[in-house]
Amino acid sequence: MKRILKYSRLMKAFFKASFVADLEYRANFATRILTDIIWYAAQVLMFEALFRVTDTIGSWNLAQTRVFLGVLFVVDAFYMIFFSENLDHMSDKVRKGEIDLLLAKPVSSQFMVSLQRINTAIFGNLLIGLVWLYFALSSLPDFQWIRLLWLLLLIPAGLLSLYSIRFMFCSLAMLFTRADNIQYLWFQLYRLGMRPDSIYVPWLKVLVLTILPVAVVASVPSRALLDPPHISLFVFVSIWSIGLVYLSHRFWNYCLRHYSSASS
Amino acid sequence: MTGLIELTLWTAIFASAQTTLIAGFPKESYLAYVLWTAFVTRITTNWMYESRMIEEIDKGSINGLLVRPMSFFEYYLSQLLGYKFITSSLSFLIPLVAVSYFGLPTVYSKLPLALLLIAYYLVFVHTLSFFIATLAFQLNRVYSLTIAKNLALWIFTGELFPLDILPEPYRSILIQLPFANAVFIPVGYLTGRVPLEMVCHGFATTTYGLIVMGALSALTWKWGLSKYSGHGA
Repeated sequence: MKRILKYSRLMKAFFKASFVADLEYRANFATRILTDIIWYAAQVLMFEALFRVTDTIGSWNLAQTRVFLGVLFVVDAFYMIFFSENLDHMSDKVRKGEIDLLLAKPVSSQFMVSLQRINTAIFGNLLIGLVWLYFALSSLPDFQWIRLLWLLLLIPAGLLSLYSIRFMFCSLAMLFTRADNIQYLWFQLYRLGMRPDSIYVPWLKVLVLTILPVAVVASVPSRALLDPPHISLFVFVSIWSIGLVYLSHRFWNYCLRHYSSASS
Repeated sequence: MTGLIELTLWTAIFASAQTTLIAGFPKESYLAYVLWTAFVTRITTNWMYESRMIEEIDKGSINGLLVRPMSFFEYYLSQLLGYKFITSSLSFLIPLVAVSYFGLPTVYSKLPLALLLIAYYLVFVHTLSFFIATLAFQLNRVYSLTIAKNLALWIFTGELFPLDILPEPYRSILIQLPFANAVFIPVGYLTGRVPLEMVCHGFATTTYGLIVMGALSALTWKWGLSKYSGHGA
């Protein structure tokens, strides 16, 4: 309990510091929001354009794909708020020796590395994502709103899976110092999660649900809203997400043991 | 990897649509478009040198370049062209082998003109990057502007999907803009969905774009230098 309180206080302090830092560069703050609106628009525009030439993609129609996009926007916004900025700069921090300072703090180094910077500008995006999801769900005929409860389980599971995989990719910087190309590979993999998993061939579908679970980000929560509940899949995804966090922690410790300190 | 994801998407679209033609073109045309796009976008995007130009202005290391007998614009343009020439020459084999292996439509005789348009567009995209970099004299952290621009180009260039599947008037408007010369026009020409006239039109729109962006960036450069105090912006 004491530990939880300690980390909650730290999170509060991180939030305050990040918010002040974000407001210092207001133009940048506004541009960040604009950037993400363009990204959302690109995703929406792409599927809207594609559905002009077909009625279904994979197993979903336009209305269902809009729900998929809504879920994607919400999970992505959470990820951007809490993890993205920290993990994006991890390779730089290792190279410049800044990670050493974080390792010296009397808290979990994984916690410090992953959550030190909270991107407060993205709260606006979260709102946009939620509004889009509401719009998409409202346009579904006879949608059962009770199904939204699944998201309480599956969005955190998707977020944890996404974080764990990305964190393991970033941790490679501790071993190789220059891991920029590996990060590029990550972004390409993440793109697999930005498409409904039903478009993939069976082996690829299994891959994006298990070993590289990027489909857990949006496809699985969307299935919970759109298709008949697939309880065993949801249970698997939830347990696997916790397993991935554990694996990421073990991998981080392994990397720390092989880390040879600043700018090495 | 990017190409593979898009290939999967288009294959799924054709499987779902249960038709042989979409917007007048067969599945093979889309697959060829996706494969060439993955290669061409690597050439026509300019993240690296734009970030470096911004950093030079931001941190004041531009001082070392200002005293040299050459322009900042030309210094980075030559680096960009040299880098793109080397990397694209090496990676060119990948789409060539892929389209040959899968037997996808590509008119090889159209390759020189398509590459010429891409090379010309590179000068334009560098001018655009230069314009954004000059804003670093006035604004803190213009990096997010770079991200916003690149995301917008993702749509406008035809990288996300072929621009001709859009409804009118968006289709015509986007094709009239110089950004379409990054991907849609050269790749469309190469894969047989764009006629020669549109390529000629592409050279013209790139020229207009160069004039506009050149004038704008000359203004912001002059304005920035007049405010610049010599120790970082």
